Amino acid sequence: MGNIVIRVENISKVYQLGQIGSRSISRDFESWRARISGKSNPHSRINETGCRIPDSGLFWALKDIHFEIEKGERVAIIGSNGAGKSTLLKILSRITAPTNGKITGKGRIASLLEIGTGFHPELTGAENIFLNGAMLGMRRSEVRGKFNEIVGFAEIEKHIQTPVKRYSSGMYMRLAFSVAAHLESEIVIMDEVLAVGDKTFQQKCIGKMQQISKEEGKTILMVSHNSNDTEHLFSKKILLTNGQILH
Amino acid sequence: MRNKEWTIESQHDLFNLRLKEILNYKHLLFQLVKRDIVALYKQTILGPIWFFIQPLLTTAVFTFVFGKLVKVSTDGLPQPLFYLAGIINWNYFSECLNKTSAVFKDNTQIFGKVYFPRIIVPISISISMLSRFAIQLLVFLICIIVYHSQGAQFHITSTIFIFPLMVALMAALGLGLGIIISALTVKYKDLYFLIGFGLQLLMYTTTVIYPLSAAPENLKWLIQMNPMTTVIELFRYSFLGKGDFTIGSLVYSVTTTVSILFLGLVAFNKVEKTFIDTI
Repeated sequence: MGNIVIRVENISKVYQLGQIGSRSISRDFESWRARISGKSNPHSRINETGCRIPDSGLFWALKDIHFEIEKGERVAIIGSNGAGKSTLLKILSRITAPTNGKITGKGRIASLLEIGTGFHPELTGAENIFLNGAMLGMRRSEVRGKFNEIVGFAEIEKHIQTPVKRYSSGMYMRLAFSVAAHLESEIVIMDEVLAVGDKTFQQKCIGKMQQISKEEGKTILMVSHNSNDTEHLFSKKILLTNGQILH
Repeated sequence: MRNKEWTIESQHDLFNLRLKEILNYKHLLFQLVKRDIVALYKQTILGPIWFFIQPLLTTAVFTFVFGKLVKVSTDGLPQPLFYLAGIINWNYFSECLNKTSAVFKDNTQIFGKVYFPRIIVPISISISMLSRFAIQLLVFLICIIVYHSQGAQFHITSTIFIFPLMVALMAALGLGLGIIISALTVKYKDLYFLIGFGLQLLMYTTTVIYPLSAAPENLKWLIQMNPMTTVIELFRYSFLGKGDFTIGSLVYSVTTTVSILFLGLVAFNKVEKTFIDTI
């Protein structure tokens, strides 16, 4: 694959508008019985066959996306609300599968989607750091090597033994960012994370991302609102409009 | 896993279960098991004592109702030992099934944020439930010693050496059925209500409170349909010397369990990819 770390080919994602199925066996059964006896469906949201939906009820969050990203690139994903930014990152992070298309890539992905990462609310900050490391396939000893750096960067030394459910949103976000940036991965994916946190911390995050990209050669994909602060951070931009890329 | 290549595709081979991927995540599996076990003990003041009390109280009630009032046969075995043997095995199976069936509901938060093979979570559940089973087995062994010292008539037999197979069967069956239900509950939420009383009813269809030998000859096959029947009978035969099973029923049990587990893995694999869009 040469220097390419992510290759996205013809990715589409379709969501069904409105209610999906009836979510209950008894309702599905009533619909089925009505169909058998030739009456109209009492829960007519679902159509006759139960799975085929008329095209008007579909929403294409992404349509025929393709792009390539090389190692060490810092990519900004730009677009208005509903353009498909988060959906794209969710597919890349393997949270949900695309409807069509294929993505090939190389290396581990650490992602920070929407607010918060895969933290378990009942566990302490420290326990969550180790659990998150394990989710990336890291050993406990490997995580331990990074532990102080993570806690130091997030500035939550005092609260690291507190369950994360008691964290303020700022603390939560700082720890989440720190974990994603420090744990071993080749690709870092971030969704609008800089929305929370004060200006100083935002600057610190931007500096950190520049550092991990330049010094450690990590590839970064991040949703950006194209503000002046982050302008200089990126080496490439992907502009999404209504689920399609504008070049 | 560094620089390992990966592919994300919309179409996915139904029978490619990606079991090898689980090995890459063994540290995660280990940590989840550890977390569950620690949580189990921290939870309450009485902690693991509950795991003694629950089977002992159930045994006491069964002994009173089925042993003394209804007078169901126990194959000549001391009644409490007979019931306890059935209860601890049934507990392990049903707890595995119960917890794995809610796996998508209980982990939506984490599944929505991080990728790892989702099957790691149900597997970790069946492993951490073993600690509970071990405690209850210990209770059972203590009871055996107590009854033995008082001169009760029973003996341990050599099938005790395939005890690991019995545990594996229960774990695989609980896991397999659990993930089938978990995959279904993504579409049908009302299945959750079914599990609670379904498991209770299912207990009466297997040999927890009566021996297979007491069943009428023409109904035995019906009771043996449940793969747990052979496991419980085999367990009783191993530890107490009385149980009704054949090589044939054991083979049936193993094949059924393996098929259910395979079916479960296929269903789980299909659902895990997009459940987050619909849950």
